[in-house]
Amino acid sequence: MKKKKGWLSLLLSAVFLLSACSQGNNESANSGDSGNSGSGGTAPAATADSGTGGTTLAPAKLKIVLYGDESNRMKELAKTDFYDVIKKEINAEVEFQFLPWTEYGGGKTDLMLSTGEDFATYTDANYMVKSVAKGLYADLTPYVGAAADLSKTVDEASFTAFQLDSKQYAIPVGNKPNSAEFYSVLVRQDLLEEAGMKQVTSLAELEQFYDKVHALHPELIGYASTDARRMLQYDFTDKNLYWQNDFIALDESAQNDQIINWFESDEFKAYAKLMRGWYEKGIIPKYAATNVPQLQSDWNSGKAMFWAGTAARPFEGAATISQAVPDAKLVNYFLGTGRPKISRGTYSTAFFVSAAAKDPERYVMFFNLLQKNQELYDLFAYGIKGTDYTLDDNGRLTKISTDSLIPDWLLMNKNFIRFDNTVPDDFIAKYKAWDDGAIISKGAGFNFDNTPVKNEETKLNGVFTEYLAPIGSGFSDYDTAFPKALERLKAAGIDKYIAEYQKQFSEWYAKSK
Amino acid sequence: MQTTESKGLLILFYACIAVFSAICLVPFVLAVSGSLSTESRIAAEGYSFWPRGFTFETYEFLFGSKAEQILRAYSMSVVVTVLGTLTAVLVTTAYAYVISVKGFKLKNFFAFFAYFTMLFSGGTLPWYLLSTKYYHLGDTLLGLFIPYVLSVFLMFLMANYFRSIPHEIVESAQIDGAGHLRIFFSIMIPLGRVGLITISLFYALQFWNDFYLPLMLVSDQDLYTIQYLMYNMMANIQFLASGNAAQVGGAIIAPPLETAKMAMTCLTVLPIAILYPFLQRFFVKGIVVGSVKG
Repeated sequence: MKKKKGWLSLLLSAVFLLSACSQGNNESANSGDSGNSGSGGTAPAATADSGTGGTTLAPAKLKIVLYGDESNRMKELAKTDFYDVIKKEINAEVEFQFLPWTEYGGGKTDLMLSTGEDFATYTDANYMVKSVAKGLYADLTPYVGAAADLSKTVDEASFTAFQLDSKQYAIPVGNKPNSAEFYSVLVRQDLLEEAGMKQVTSLAELEQFYDKVHALHPELIGYASTDARRMLQYDFTDKNLYWQNDFIALDESAQNDQIINWFESDEFKAYAKLMRGWYEKGIIPKYAATNVPQLQSDWNSGKAMFWAGTAARPFEGAATISQAVPDAKLVNYFLGTGRPKISRGTYSTAFFVSAAAKDPERYVMFFNLLQKNQELYDLFAYGIKGTDYTLDDNGRLTKISTDSLIPDWLLMNKNFIRFDNTVPDDFIAKYKAWDDGAIISKGAGFNFDNTPVKNEETKLNGVFTEYLAPIGSGFSDYDTAFPKALERLKAAGIDKYIAEYQKQFSEWYAKSK
Repeated sequence: MQTTESKGLLILFYACIAVFSAICLVPFVLAVSGSLSTESRIAAEGYSFWPRGFTFETYEFLFGSKAEQILRAYSMSVVVTVLGTLTAVLVTTAYAYVISVKGFKLKNFFAFFAYFTMLFSGGTLPWYLLSTKYYHLGDTLLGLFIPYVLSVFLMFLMANYFRSIPHEIVESAQIDGAGHLRIFFSIMIPLGRVGLITISLFYALQFWNDFYLPLMLVSDQDLYTIQYLMYNMMANIQFLASGNAAQVGGAIIAPPLETAKMAMTCLTVLPIAILYPFLQRFFVKGIVVGSVKG
């Protein structure tokens, strides 16, 4: 009897084991060919002729992780045209894996990195610093040569932004005019004209615009965001401020390494008062304090008068708004003049390669393809000519399929980008000239290592959300709320944090200048 | 028999429950009405209890452009739920039988072995490593249910239920020469039907609602379940709305249509909503029955 019970339990455990181990075709196939790609792939000779096709390269398998939805067309192309072209160019089989945006810079991406998977995806400077400290990114310095074509179409400053201790940990892609991001006011020109105005050149005019439109359309909100420190700097300071994060700003008009403790500055005080005025006046709606995402949907559905502008927002944003308001027109205005636009670098994002990758160089060669020439750019961003899009005589693009491929914000490069028919010529000219006279921020390329002040940073972020963001957006009054907030900041260790930041920044500044 | 006082109380309780269930229904009604409204009116006026500009356009759009994907995900969800529930019930009842059977020396060891995992777990990272590197569950159908086939809580529930079956029945079967397999399949399973249905429902609900396993283990779109498809959609919208997207590089992507979100929600909830009223009595009954003897 007892024996039989024993057998039953044994049988059970066997079922467990069997069911768990029975399928593993994909993985074992991958590990099976590790020998081949490991031996041939890293040969440095391959770098020189990335243009002539992959005949001299051993076959390799690459996995590229992208975030967002995978469209049907993308899925199809990944198996057909993309596959063939990449195979022909660099003799690699590329598999695209799509993850939800929640996994960006953490979540499953972290798991995949920590468990030693072989893949590449995009990153920002923060995530790079964290991951490099854990040794999770491959050092790409020896392979930068494999991105020779990309280096010609992407700014050099973009490369330095992804270096740590002069080692290249990620390859930037994209080249778009993005100086003065959020420093301009993106105004609904159609409403402006309806109110009998032509342009907005100062804060007074902007408020006048609000008053007039509010009288005509009381249902519209004014500003569809809670942060206006950049567009308003022309009024509350003479400095040319550029924010490193929520706590620290740089004055780009001064040639020194001084960082500014933003919340304890007079500028913050002046700014908070301006915002308080906006809040009381109703330019920022009352519900904004509790429901920030609603602001953006209001903007998207044409229920707001202005928003923070970027070079591309007049045409990117118009596409969304025109669903609700077909004749909406968007124009960027600055509320002051005489200060050079500041840029963080013109890249869209940057690709890293996991430390466990067998063939990092081949990954770099793949990134190179993304920005190599017009032909490949068209293929990856727009698809097949005639099937997915058509071009008219002026090179204007008409999309036949609305499915997105490799996300176009990621690839966006002013050397290759194509506009559709709705974008006026003068706008394109303006867009391309947007960065003229812009300066690269003196902090570009500096990456703060937060390990010595990790606890402080966590606490400060809490204080920021609870106390300072409401003051900065005008929901609480500066005079009554700030003393308490300052007390919390001090308790959370703002002084230590600022000192550490200043120390690292000065060291880096001295080295880089 | 009933006094007027208790009748009054009863009415009061029913009224409270009615109000509470009405509150629970509100989001669902909004979702249904949202899915049947026109996009432009939702954008302009927001949600309401009655569809604004009644239309089936959204469903037509969904089934037109994403029909294939949704159907595939739907059938994948059904397959996973059915296969998962069958496997899980088999494994769970078998384990429950082993630790409830009289006279088996190691039953306490096995009971503790299972119980231990309720208190301590290895964490996500080892779990992920084990699933992908050792069991090779990545991108397989098995990966969508195998990690969940033994819920310790439900196993103990089932074991308690088995213990409530009079031992004499088992004994008489043994005298007639029945082995454990025979006892398990011919006596315990039929007699334990109520418990069995209860844990099946719990499992079915869990498998139907799960998006974690596909998120972790699956990258092939053919293996997406309807919940994961939904999660993916919502996650992307939330991320883009949260403003983090600006950090990545000023990504501006028009979020999917509001009404489409609502239609997806309805499609996902529908099967459960239809089945639940018919099956819910087993939930209550099963838990109560299992808990009598502890």
